[in-house]
Amino acid sequence: MRELGRACTGFVRAVVLMVVSLLVPALWAAAVALWLWWGGSPWSWIAPVIWAAIGTFALSRPVCRMFRSFAEKWTGTVVPGGYRQAEPVTQMATGYWWNGFSYSRTSRDAQREQRWRVWWSDPATWRDLRFTVIAPLTVGLVAAVPPAGVAVAVLGFSRSWLIGVAGLVVAVVSAPYAWRPVRPVAVRFLRPSAAMALADRVDELTAQRADTTVAQAAEIRRIERDLHDGAQGSLVALGLSLATAEKLLETDPEQAKALLREARAGAATSLAELRDLVRGISPPVLTERGLVDAVRALAMDSPLETGVDADGLPRLDPPIEAAVYFGIAELLTNAVKHAHADRARISIGRDKTRLVVVVEDNGRGGAAMRTGGGLEGLRRRLAAFDGTCEITSPAGGPTRASIVVPCESL
Amino acid sequence: MRIVVAEDLYLLRDGIVRLVEAYGHEVVATAATGPETLDALLRWRPDVSIIDVRMPPAQSDEGLRAALAARRELPGLPVLILSQHVEQLYARELLAGGAGGIGYFLKESVFDADQFIDALHRVADGGTAMDPAVITKLFSSGTSNRRLERLTEREHSVLGLMAEGLSNQAVAQRLFLSESAISKYTTSIFGKLGITDDGNNNRRVLAVLTYLSSSAA
Repeated sequence: MRELGRACTGFVRAVVLMVVSLLVPALWAAAVALWLWWGGSPWSWIAPVIWAAIGTFALSRPVCRMFRSFAEKWTGTVVPGGYRQAEPVTQMATGYWWNGFSYSRTSRDAQREQRWRVWWSDPATWRDLRFTVIAPLTVGLVAAVPPAGVAVAVLGFSRSWLIGVAGLVVAVVSAPYAWRPVRPVAVRFLRPSAAMALADRVDELTAQRADTTVAQAAEIRRIERDLHDGAQGSLVALGLSLATAEKLLETDPEQAKALLREARAGAATSLAELRDLVRGISPPVLTERGLVDAVRALAMDSPLETGVDADGLPRLDPPIEAAVYFGIAELLTNAVKHAHADRARISIGRDKTRLVVVVEDNGRGGAAMRTGGGLEGLRRRLAAFDGTCEITSPAGGPTRASIVVPCESL
Repeated sequence: MRIVVAEDLYLLRDGIVRLVEAYGHEVVATAATGPETLDALLRWRPDVSIIDVRMPPAQSDEGLRAALAARRELPGLPVLILSQHVEQLYARELLAGGAGGIGYFLKESVFDADQFIDALHRVADGGTAMDPAVITKLFSSGTSNRRLERLTEREHSVLGLMAEGLSNQAVAQRLFLSESAISKYTTSIFGKLGITDDGNNNRRVLAVLTYLSSSAA
C-alpha cells in the first residue's frame, strides 16, 4: 500500500516536472508550427521567433522559481535565488526621481526603468535562461519516463497486451524515482554563482558591520551615561560628606558621626549601581562560569518557573556567549512583560557546527520583530556572528524562539 | 578567633585584616590566589575564613572552588564568602552538603562592621549567614513561590530573616515580637516545609536548603 502511495506521488511529481520543464520548449515548438502554417516563406520566421524569445525571457524566472520551490517542498533543500534587489528611488530637490542611474519625471517611471536595468544586468537572469535550456534535457527527460510508460500502455493495449503491460511496469517502477533528479540539478545549476554569492556576502557583511558599529556606539553611550549619572555622582557626594565630616570632627563629633554613617550608605549605593552596570556589560557568572551556568543563574532569578536543559557545552568565545546570554535574557523579559507567561523552558544544545538555543514560554504570544524593538536588537547582535533568531509566536501563544549561531569550535 | 583572609586586591585584603584585628581576632594567614587559599585552609584549619569568589590565576571562581574543595576535605570548615555580586547558583553550591558554617555576602556588608563581625561569629559557630540580596531573590523567583504558598506572610518574613542567619532573638528584635512567638513560628515553618528534628541542630540551614532546592530547575 505504501509502495503504491509512493508511486502515485512520484507519478504526480514527475508529470508536474515534465510540464514545467517543457513550458519553454513548447513555446518554441509553437513558434515553429506557426512558421510552417504560414507556409515557410523566407521572412515569415521573424515574428514567431521574436514572440518565442520574449516569451522565453518572461517565463525563465517563474520556471526557475517553481523548480526551486519543488526542490524545497519535496526534498527540503533550499536553493537560494540570489536575485538582485532594486534600490529604493529617491526624489531630488528638483522634483525629479533618481534611481541611481537616471532621472525620471515620476517615481513610477524611475522604478520601472530601474527594474529593467536590474533585471537586465542581473547575472541571475542569464543563469535562469541557461537553466530553461538545461531543465528539459535533464529533469524533463527523466520525469517524462513514467507518463511515457502510461502513454505506451494506453496505446499498446489495443495492439498487444504485452506492450501494454511493459508500459505499465515501466511507469510504476520508475514513478518513485523519476522526479528525484530535481534536487541535484537545481543545486548544481540554480544556485547563485560563486561571484554572485561573494557579492551578496560582501553586501551582507557591510550591513552587519554597520549594525555592529551602531550597536557598539550605543552601548558605549549607555555605559558613559550610567557612570556619569550614577556612580560618579554618588562618589562626589561621598567625598563631600567625608570632607565635611573631617571638618566637623573637632567641633561637632555627633554631626560628624552622622555624616560618616551617611557616607557609608552612599558608598554601598554606588557599589550597587556599579554592580548593576557591570551586570549589564557582562554578567559576572558568565565571566566566571560560562554560558550554561549563567543561564541557569538567570533562570533562578527569573520570576518565571524556568527550566534549563543543557548538555556539556565547552566555553565559547566571550562575545558569542554574551550575545546568546543577552538574547535569552531579552526573551525571558519579553515572556514576563509582554506574553504574561508563568513558565518557560530553555534548551541549549549543539550539533556539529552550530549552537542551538530554544526558548519557549506558555504566554499569550503575538511577539513580532519591530524596528527599534528588543527583538530587532537581538537579531542585530546575533547577526554580527552570522547567528539567526527565529520566532514563532501565534496570537494566543505559545512563543517559541530559536537562536542559532554557527560555531566552528564546537 | 583564628581567621584566614583570601582576597586578591591588596587594599581590600589589608582593610579586612585591619577590621577583624580591630575586633580582637587573629589573622593566621592571608592568600591572594585560589591555590594559596586552599593550602592555607588545609594547613591552618582556621576557626573561620573570609574568601573572595574571584581570584587569580584564572580570575574566575577560584575562591569558591577552593572553599568547596577545602570543605570536602574538612567537612563543616566554616567559610564566609565575600563577593562583588551574590548568586543563588553559588549559594546553592555552598549549602548543597547540608552542613552549616557557611556565609555568603556582598563585599559592602563589611561597611557595617558590627553586623559583619556578628555574621562571622555565627558562621564560625556552624550557623549560616546569607546576604539579604540572596534571600530577596529566593523569595521573588517563580518556583519557590509555589513552595512558599503554604506559609503565612508573617512566617515568610521570619523565614527570610532566619535564612539570612539571624538567631531567634535577633529575628524577634527586628520584627518587634517576643522570642517565644518567633520560636512558635519557626516550629510551624519547619513543620510546613517538612523538616524534622533528628538531633541535627541545623534545621535553619535545612530550611534555606529547602528553598534553594525547590528553585532548582
